[in-house]
Amino acid sequence: MKKLITGNEAVALGAVAAGVKAVTGYPGTPSTGTITYLLSMDLPDTHVEWSVNEKVAIDVAAGLGWGGHRVLVTTKMSGVNVAADSLVSIAHSGVDGGMVIYVADDPGVSAGMVEQDSRAYALMADMVILEPSSVKESYEMTKFAFDLSEQIQTPVFVRSVTALANSFAEVDIEPPGKVSQAEPLLVRDINRYTKAGSVIGKTQHQKIINNLEKAGQILEDIGFNKIVLSANKGGLGIITVGITAAYMDEAFEMLEQHTSVKRDEISVLNVYASLPFPEKKVRQLLAHCGTILVLEELEPHLEKNVYVEAQKTGFNGKIVGKLDKTLSRIGEYGVEQIVRGTAAALGLDFPEELLKGMSSGEAYAADRPITVCAGCPHRGTYMAIIDALRRLRLKKSEVMVTGDIGCTILGMNPPYDIIWNEISMGASVSLAQGYVYAGVKTPVIATIGDSTFFHGGIPGLINAIQHDVNMTLIIMDNRWTAMTGMQENPGTSKKYQGEGYVEVDIARIVPALGVTQYFEMDPFNYRESSEILQKALKLPGVKVVLARGECAIQVVRHNEVEKIVRVIDENCNQCKLCIMVTGCAALSLGNGTVLVDEALCTGCGLCVAVCNRNAMELIDREN
Amino acid sequence: MKLDIFLVGVGGQGILTIGELISEAAHRQSIPVNFFPSKGMAQRGGFVKAQLRLGRELVGPIIPERGADIVVAMELSESLKALRYIKANGDFVLFGECWEPTAVMLGKAPYPKTDEVKEQVIKSGARLIYLDPHLLPKYESRLVASNIYILGTLIQQTQLKQFFTADLMEEVMQSRWKRGGQANKVALHAGIRVEPEIKQISSAGVTA
Repeated sequence: MKKLITGNEAVALGAVAAGVKAVTGYPGTPSTGTITYLLSMDLPDTHVEWSVNEKVAIDVAAGLGWGGHRVLVTTKMSGVNVAADSLVSIAHSGVDGGMVIYVADDPGVSAGMVEQDSRAYALMADMVILEPSSVKESYEMTKFAFDLSEQIQTPVFVRSVTALANSFAEVDIEPPGKVSQAEPLLVRDINRYTKAGSVIGKTQHQKIINNLEKAGQILEDIGFNKIVLSANKGGLGIITVGITAAYMDEAFEMLEQHTSVKRDEISVLNVYASLPFPEKKVRQLLAHCGTILVLEELEPHLEKNVYVEAQKTGFNGKIVGKLDKTLSRIGEYGVEQIVRGTAAALGLDFPEELLKGMSSGEAYAADRPITVCAGCPHRGTYMAIIDALRRLRLKKSEVMVTGDIGCTILGMNPPYDIIWNEISMGASVSLAQGYVYAGVKTPVIATIGDSTFFHGGIPGLINAIQHDVNMTLIIMDNRWTAMTGMQENPGTSKKYQGEGYVEVDIARIVPALGVTQYFEMDPFNYRESSEILQKALKLPGVKVVLARGECAIQVVRHNEVEKIVRVIDENCNQCKLCIMVTGCAALSLGNGTVLVDEALCTGCGLCVAVCNRNAMELIDREN
Repeated sequence: MKLDIFLVGVGGQGILTIGELISEAAHRQSIPVNFFPSKGMAQRGGFVKAQLRLGRELVGPIIPERGADIVVAMELSESLKALRYIKANGDFVLFGECWEPTAVMLGKAPYPKTDEVKEQVIKSGARLIYLDPHLLPKYESRLVASNIYILGTLIQQTQLKQFFTADLMEEVMQSRWKRGGQANKVALHAGIRVEPEIKQISSAGVTA
């Protein structure tokens, strides 16, 4: 059946076609759509979960792989870093059931995080990495990856990029594969499943190298990487890696139209797996061509191996790519890079005006910093921090407020300008500890969201407690993993998690860890929240403030908006204080007064608390 | 036939829905399609863009600069970010709605004037198709969905006319939404009937 699906959904359906028994992962752009889609499907024999973090996800998956069953792990690039400790270890032990790790990188950084090329993990762990160039291939390669993983008894990566993961295209879908109901394997083999000792470690290392070599042979036999050589020797050979293959037709239409280039005079090797390095195919290309152009996004991993192969085979032509500085290691690749690379390799002039559009108008565009939604509980927390600092006569510029991943980071932008930094899941807590040791004299504050706290914040808090650090941690608990599109996390209300789930309450975890100076605040109660923070900031030792309020998007979706703000026109003199302090999207300037957008306002009341002219009030919303 | 469409706007306007409806219409006609929506970290009110490529079997998701046959811009200021993608002689459909960021509202930051933006579009060599947001009609005393209205204009005034009929779009909308059928129909046909302001540089200067 032909369906219009995204690259992420194609991975999901590829796994279903392969009869996957379990899928684990943590939400992260651009990979989130795979598990979201699986959770919307009726899959009675497949367990699908949002795990607490990526390392947990991969450990759960290893249990299935070792038990002989097929399993998929999904993650964004940064999540591989979290899972890396287990990833390398599991790879060295190998698996019996097909284990596929789907990672989506974000060249061009559309979602804000490190621009990282996760293929480096395949290099480090001697693992296979399959790189589809289309939505259709995302489906086919995921399905194939399970077979390959079982053949070489090693986990296999499927790697996508944002443009592919989030693109919709038509794919021919097969019916779901049968999920194995076989009894799990219970193999006690410490030589394989432990790391205890030099002999064990070295044997496992040799085994994975052999497995990768075996994968190379399999991929060579089935013609996984495709080569087309031109009629005459000595010309240009282009190597595409993953998605860059998808732009070749279009780039050569342009090149043939504006230069003397003939596409059939050029040899092309489409690499769909950087690892195992396609040695034979690259040698064929080197033997046939006088010049080589390598087109791969981000890091020159394959290109470096081409240089090695050139040295080994005595190739003395030119290699064009990143290492000769023709192309960049930054950003996404498309038609432009292929045209530029080909022109450089062939010594052609290509008119610049055909590659670059008019950008001068962009200077007129208004800045549009991202901010929290109308009704967001985080707004109240930022406002309370700012107010508390002011009342304690502390300058914003002198108080370190560390930030973390997710919506909670939005306090870095105006009008709050209160969060200073963002590193990785959970880092805010320990970063604050570090600033204390660096000698910061003013109170040090850490901010973190609920899902981020579960994911990576808890060890940092335990560390701070043990070392009795003078700092304040504010856990901004909106009950959902919100920024990635509202996934459930351990703290999500039981009401929404449904049968078979247990809600884990942060309000019980923190005191149980031994935090005696523990406070709870309602971020929509502006004055009281500020007072709680003022009190906490004056105390010594570890203070934890749980700022709890449900994500406004969910409140609206669940039809739980009860109030709305009304402007009392005769009292409003349009002083703009409410807009300046709250920065709420529901407020705008009308004719002499402030206007409230009724479609956006959730009646959180923060603007009412800010107004000092009694010009705003909360009234019942008429539904 | 190949057609590339670059869409820009802000979160909450329904710009991605335009792309989804066209994609679904293409899918039903067995026209190859690749639709790449990109929200980034945008919540409501943040910058959103999308790239829609029709008619190529093998195609990358990203439209090259100067590669778009059509630009659809739903927000005045954000439309400027699409200028580099429009082909000379491409159709630049601009719905002149303004979503002012807070700093603009407070008078702390500038916001482009409608005439400045129109001038930039014309300067790019594109054919400006300007829709005045104040002309958006009402249905049962509520303004109709601006994105569906713009879709109507797209299938009437641009090269999309050769791909899709109003009937097909109505069908696609009906299977997507159970409710609001009549309002969407009104919006679509209002967008088809409206006479937008059309301007382009010719050898003799700007022509209307």
